[in-house]
This record gives sequence, structure tokens and C-alpha cells, in this order.
Amino acid sequence: MVYDKESEVFSIQTINLTKRFAKKKHRGVFGFLRKNQSKNKHEENTDVTVALDKVNIEIRPGELFGLLGPNGSGKTTMIKCLSTILIPDEGTVIVNGFDVQKETSMVRASLGMVVGGERTLYWKLTARDNLMYFASLYKMQRRYAKKRVEELLETLQLSDRADERLEDYSTGMRQKVAIARALLHDPPILLLDEPTLGLDPNFSRQIRSQIRELSEKHGKTVLLTTHYMDEADQLCDRVAFINNGNIVAVDTPNRLKAMVKEREIVEVAVYRPPADIESQIRSLLPDAEVIKLIPGDEDEGNPSRIKIIGGTAEEHMGTIIDALRQKNIRIGSLNVGVPTLEDVFIKLTGAKLTEGGMQ
Amino acid sequence: MEKNNKDYRLREVKCPAGFSWTNLRAELRAVWESNVKAWKIDLAYPVSFIRQLISPVVFMLPYLLYGLVLIGGRYSENLAQLVGTGDVVAFIFTGYIMMGFIGTAVWAMGFSMRREQWFGTLEAIYVTPASRLGQVLGMALHSTVHQGAGTIIQFIFIYATFGLALNVGGILPALGIFALMMFALYGFGIVISALSLILKEGWIVSDSFYSIMTILSPVAYPLIVLPTLAQQASIIFPTAPALIGMRSFLIENYVPEVVGNVFLHLSVLGAVWILFGVFVFHLTDRYVRKRGMLKKF
Amino acid sequence: MTQSVYEQSSFRSNFFVVWDELVKNMKFLMAYPIIFIFWAIFPIFWFIPFILQGEAFVGGLQSANFAQITGSGEYIPFIVIGAVLNSYVNTLLYGMGENIRREAYQGTLDYVFAAPCNKAYVLIGKALSESVSSTIFAASQLTISALLFGMNLTLGVMLPVFFIVILLILGLYGLSLVLAAFSLMYKQSHDVSETIGYIFYIFSPVRYPIESLPFWAQIIGKLIPLTYALIIVRSIMLLGTSFSAMYWEILALIIIDAVLMLAGFYMFNWMETKTKKSGAISHY
Repeated sequence: MVYDKESEVFSIQTINLTKRFAKKKHRGVFGFLRKNQSKNKHEENTDVTVALDKVNIEIRPGELFGLLGPNGSGKTTMIKCLSTILIPDEGTVIVNGFDVQKETSMVRASLGMVVGGERTLYWKLTARDNLMYFASLYKMQRRYAKKRVEELLETLQLSDRADERLEDYSTGMRQKVAIARALLHDPPILLLDEPTLGLDPNFSRQIRSQIRELSEKHGKTVLLTTHYMDEADQLCDRVAFINNGNIVAVDTPNRLKAMVKEREIVEVAVYRPPADIESQIRSLLPDAEVIKLIPGDEDEGNPSRIKIIGGTAEEHMGTIIDALRQKNIRIGSLNVGVPTLEDVFIKLTGAKLTEGGMQ
Repeated sequence: MEKNNKDYRLREVKCPAGFSWTNLRAELRAVWESNVKAWKIDLAYPVSFIRQLISPVVFMLPYLLYGLVLIGGRYSENLAQLVGTGDVVAFIFTGYIMMGFIGTAVWAMGFSMRREQWFGTLEAIYVTPASRLGQVLGMALHSTVHQGAGTIIQFIFIYATFGLALNVGGILPALGIFALMMFALYGFGIVISALSLILKEGWIVSDSFYSIMTILSPVAYPLIVLPTLAQQASIIFPTAPALIGMRSFLIENYVPEVVGNVFLHLSVLGAVWILFGVFVFHLTDRYVRKRGMLKKF
Repeated sequence: MTQSVYEQSSFRSNFFVVWDELVKNMKFLMAYPIIFIFWAIFPIFWFIPFILQGEAFVGGLQSANFAQITGSGEYIPFIVIGAVLNSYVNTLLYGMGENIRREAYQGTLDYVFAAPCNKAYVLIGKALSESVSSTIFAASQLTISALLFGMNLTLGVMLPVFFIVILLILGLYGLSLVLAAFSLMYKQSHDVSETIGYIFYIFSPVRYPIESLPFWAQIIGKLIPLTYALIIVRSIMLLGTSFSAMYWEILALIIIDAVLMLAGFYMFNWMETKTKKSGAISHY
């Protein structure tokens, strides 16, 4: 993509964005009877989680920007701070030139959001009713809203069933209605929080194609959060890794993948590995940067994978095969892998991106 | 498709904001659409809709039948001594129509934000430029009309079953008092909607206020029966002066328990509750967004 | 899995299904102490208007007309007993259907139904937890009312009352099973519960003696278990009638209970089979 370097104007800009959540510790049903150990009662009874820690992000107009991180890394919190649902504790957030705390209404008018998917619509209303209702909340003129709703229903192939209640729709169709809602007022910026989560591959493909079209053909700025590395790799102009509320790296997918040289990755598919296989291999390969066991589902035909990043792949291969054979561990396959964004993420953070949280 | 530099400016967003006729029209339209949405969802549950229309009759009947059994007829000497009229049917009917509208403030409005949270749509509403108050007012409008329909059904039932003697000439001023009362109740409802969002068990707030207001409003008994402290507390709620005012216009020989200009009283209450309600709502709005309490529970 | 991990006796396994369901629901309730406190105290506010109404209409604590119809002119204890038993009933009526809907909403209903145990015992456990909590709330409300309004609550009075309450609960269990069956299929158990609640409220002598209703309404009232429970409890507490003197009313209550229990079990099993076939079990 081409951008104007001379006048750096950003669609979305965060400066030292920080957000903390304090939660009361659960002390059991009769916890109120227990004595506090320290003098600071509030501190003892409260857990503070730093969801975003001085995050700085700049997204250019027209960019398709990915925010990649595991569950609990701060992606959704970031989206909520940008969309005015959450008020940051520290820092500044500028969206389409408007400060989220001072010009809230204009920020909301500049954004279209898909967060939470199908459950954020009225299931007892039809798709048309849902869209017309939200059009009024976006302060659209009625005749324009009608035209726009019909346009979107046509584009998203929902016209035939527009007058059926959402409770009779499939998950994918409801997600389409959620996307239509985000596009109603033709906002310059779209925030998409895991838009393909829970969808089947066919629908996911359709959604991704629509996202690409919105960015390339319509010039919209899209901030996409996901923990599907393939999605980010395919779609995004730039990707930011977020982990524990911190931005770990920001760059194009190709430049990020270049951080992990191709020959540095060895991936071995194994069956029924022992629990301590990671530490065993680590002792044999001291120069490896990361050794990770990614459990599979052998009943479904997906063996577990051991990924070794760093050091020399050719040297590692022989050592690994010998070690596994000695322990009578069945080897499925061995690859010198093409780096993926997940490999980069693992290398940078030691954590993995896939569902089920950090490892 | 080749992109050129022109695509990479920030795009101007033309959304009405601030103090302008365009913005006011847009906000009012959002209120209207909230009302329409509430009707559509209501009608999607036809059994519930019908039940809610007849529930004012169901809950008024025990007051009536109990009252009739207590005195063994329709006329109460003691009531006549207290307020100048002993017709328990007229007294209870004029009082009970208030209950539904207390429910408007406390449940329809008071629980509106919580209900959206329960549907999962609260965040989706929060990211739109329209005011959240529009949601609450939309529900107020819906509930007022709904209750109005219930009141008409109540009236028909009571008239057909027991007969009802009301002063027809007093209907217009009574409606004026009613309108002023609703204005104040809307303000009160806005306060409740704010409180029910920040408290985990929001329905307890609504239920508690409903019960307290019912006791402090002279629905089935004159205000004078309450302890002095309760009588004094009742003047801060619009229902007590409104009921007394409406009865004085609708029921012959009715002697109001409270002296004073009911129109002035209600106007002041209305202004105070609306301003207070908007203030509390704004504070709560910031509070829930600061603490991240909007997501579905 | 070897045979030894399963309960050998079906009685024991069924007992523990009921017990664990009860414990789970009680833990759920205790996780919300403010709800607990609310139900223990607040329903008193709902009948205070009736007491004040009485004072306004008769100018004292005794109603001559009430005395003529019911044998006692004290309308305040009449109202208190009606309110306490009625709120008890409402908790049970709504509790069961809503309990199941909550399971469906949380996504646990599928797993409960996929388990090999007899689902009726799961429901008995739910009903038992509703009964326990209702009893605690009713006892609290009655105690506070007795202190406020000077009612006589001796052991000699409360033991037979407790027995009648158990009989009432049994009948309501049957009704709850019917409501649970509806909620499985139609998802709008709340409406059915509310409608039944309305019928109980109007046709049972909750706020007024049943004799004050028209004849046709009295017939409907006499088909409702709450009616007999109220008549018996008020006779014992307000008129000092002996337990044995109420044997016709007690018999009527037992018969209605039996009919409701049988209907409830039958309908629930039938509806469970139907919803499993249609796949409607976890839609909400």
C-alpha cells in the first residue's frame, strides 16, 4: 500500500494507553468472617490486573491492521478503549482526529464495530428491524437509512430472509447482520474483534473476503483482533503482537516472519509424548531458543507437535530423532518449517497464540 | 486496485452533535425508535403481552375485594371521616391506576439498561452517537402507552363490575396533574436506571423502590394513615401529591389531605427529578465505562 | 472404566443426585447474600399497604364483617398468613421453571440431560432447594411479622402448620414439574408461572376469605392446594381449631397433591422425550 510519509496522519493513535481492572478476591461464602492479614484491607481483598500497559499504536488511514495475541492479552480491552466503551486510566486515544474522552460522540460516529458477534443483536427482531433501529442510533436520516439497509442486505446476501427473526438465523448469518450494522453509517474506521470466531470455514472465508474488500476497495481503516495467525497473515498490512497488555512487536507480516529464519524451525509430529519431553529435549539442545510441545488430538488424527526454534536445524534433526527413538516415542513426521506468525510470537514471548490461553 | 494518496486522509464525519435542531431531531428519532423496538419485542411474546395488559386488573382486584369484605359493603364511614368520601371503589380505582405508572419509572425505565445488558446489546448501543438516555426515554414512552392501555381495561372492568362514579368535569385537570406527575416520574426513572446498572443485583433496586413508593403513595388509603415521618417523606415523590390532586378533581366531596398548589408542587418536583436524574445518569455512565461494567453478565 | 466406580445401589445413586442438586442450588443462592437478605425481609413491604388500608377503612384493628365471615375479626394476622404462604408459593412456582431456564442459559442443561441418572431426581433436587430456601424466607418473614404485629407463634401451633406447609409443597412440586415440562419445550415458562400465580392470587383466599368470592370463583378456588392450606393454617393459628377437626380440608389437600404429583411426573417424562426428539432442549 502507498501512504503519505510527509503528513503522518493517523486514523487511530494511542499514546501510553493504560487500563487496569481491580477485582475483589473471592474469599468463599463465609470469607467476610475471616480476618485480614495486612493493614491495607483494600489491597489484600483486591486483585489488580493491568490489561493495557502504556500501549502506543499508530494506524494509518486505509490500513488493515491486525492485533494478534492469545486470550487475555488485552485485545478486546484495546478495542473497547478505542470505541469509548471503556475509559482509559492513563494516556490519550485519538480516533479519526477526535479524542475519545472529549469528543465521544464524534468518535462513535467515526467507528463501526463488530464485537461479541451474534449476541449483540435483538433475536426477536428481524434483520431489517435490527438494522433500521441501529440506523436511528447512528442518527441517520430515515430515507437514507432505508436505502442503506437494503443495499447492505443485498451485498451480504440476506435480502431473502431479511424479514425473518434473527432467532431463526444461523450463527454465520447473524454475524453478517452484525457486520452490516457496523457498515450502516459508512464509517471510515472499522473495529473487528475476532469476527470469525466460532464460524465454519466457509463463512469465515466469506467474512475475510469482505474484510479485504472493505480495506482495498473502500479504503476503510480496519483494526482486526484475532488469535488466528493465518487470518492475520492473509489479511493484514501490518500486525502488532500483544501479550500481557504490552505491544511486543509491530511490522508487516513478512518482516515479522523474517525475524525467525526459515532454517531455524524444526517441527516434529509425535504420538503420546511424555509430559516432560520439553525439558528432555532442552537438555539435549542447549542452543535452541524455544522448545514447545503443542498438544494435538490423536483420536482425531492430529498428533502432538514439538517445535524447536533457534540454533541450526540440520544439527537438531539428528539429535531429536535419536532421542525420540531411544524413548520409543513414535514419530509421525519431521519438517524444517516455514515460519508462521505463531513462530514469531512464540520466539518473542515464549507463549502460544492458539485457543486455550497462554502456555 | 491501485491506491493513491488521496485515500489516506482522515475522512470527515457528518454526524449531528451539540445544541442544534438537527441533533435534537435525531435524538428524538432515536427515542421513538427505541419505543418502536420495545413494542416489537413485546409483541414477539404475545402471551406475555396479553398477560401484562390484564395484570393491572389482577392486582387491583385484591385491594377492592379485601376492602369490600372489611367493611361489608361499598361505603366506609371511617374513610368518609378521613377524606370526605366513603366510596371505596372510586377511592381504590383512582389510587390503583398510579401503580402501573410507578412501574413505568421503576421497572420499564429503571431496568431498561439492565435489560439491554441481559440481551447482550448494551455495548452495541453504547458505541452509537445517540444518547443512552434515549433508550431509557424510549422505554418510558412504550411503558406509558402500555400502562395507559391497561388503565383503560381496568376502567372498563371496574365500571362493568362495580359501577364507578367519577366527576367527568375533573378529567381534564386530572390529566394535567397526571402529565406533570409523569414528567417527574421520568426523572426518577432515570435515577433508577443509573443505579440498577452499577449494582450487581439491579432488580433489587427496582423492587425496593417500587415497594417503598407504593407504601408512600396513598393508593389504597389516605396519606394521613401513614406515620408522620412517612407522610413527610412522601412529598419528595410525585405520586402522593398527584394522587391527592387527581382525586380532588375526580371524586365528589373529596377533601385533599395535603393543602397547597399541586400543579406548582409537581412542576418543581419534575424539574428537580429530571435534573437530578440526568446528573446521576451522566455520572453513572462514566463510572460503568471506567470500571468496564458494560459487558453482559 | 470398571463397574466399581459406579454406585451399586440405585437408591443411593438417586439419593445423591437429589442431594448434590440441592447443595449446588443452595451454594448458588449463598453466592448472592443480598438476594438472600432481600427475600427474607422485603416481601413484608408488599402486604403493608393492605394493613394500612384496613386501618383506613375500619378505623381500628378489628373488622366486624371479617369476624362474621371467618370467625375472627383480626384482619392483620389474616393478611400476614396469606402473604407469607403466597410468597412461599410464588418462589416455588417460578423457581423451578426459572432454574431450568438458567441451566439452559448457562449452557449446562445439555450436560444434565445427557447424564445417565433419572432426570426426575434432578428436578426433585431443584424443587427441594427451592423449598428449603422458601421455608427459610417464610420463617423469617413470619417471625418479623409476629414481632411487628404481635402474633402467637408457639410450638403447639407451628408444628401442625409446618405439616400443612409440607403438604402444600408436595402439591406444588407436582405443579412445578408441569411448569418444568413446559419450559423444556416452549421456553416461556415465566408466562405460564405468572398466569398460574395470578390464578392462585385471585381465587385463593390470600387477601380475603374465599366466601367473599362469587360461587363460580369459589369452585375454582377449591381446586387450588393453596386454598386449603390457607384455610387450615388460619383456623389453627387464629381460631385455635384443633388439627383433627380439619380432617376434610386435609384430605382434600392430600387428594389434590396426589393428582398434581402424578400429572407432573407423567407430563415431564413425556415432554422430555418429545424435546429430545425435536432437539429443542437447549434452545433458548
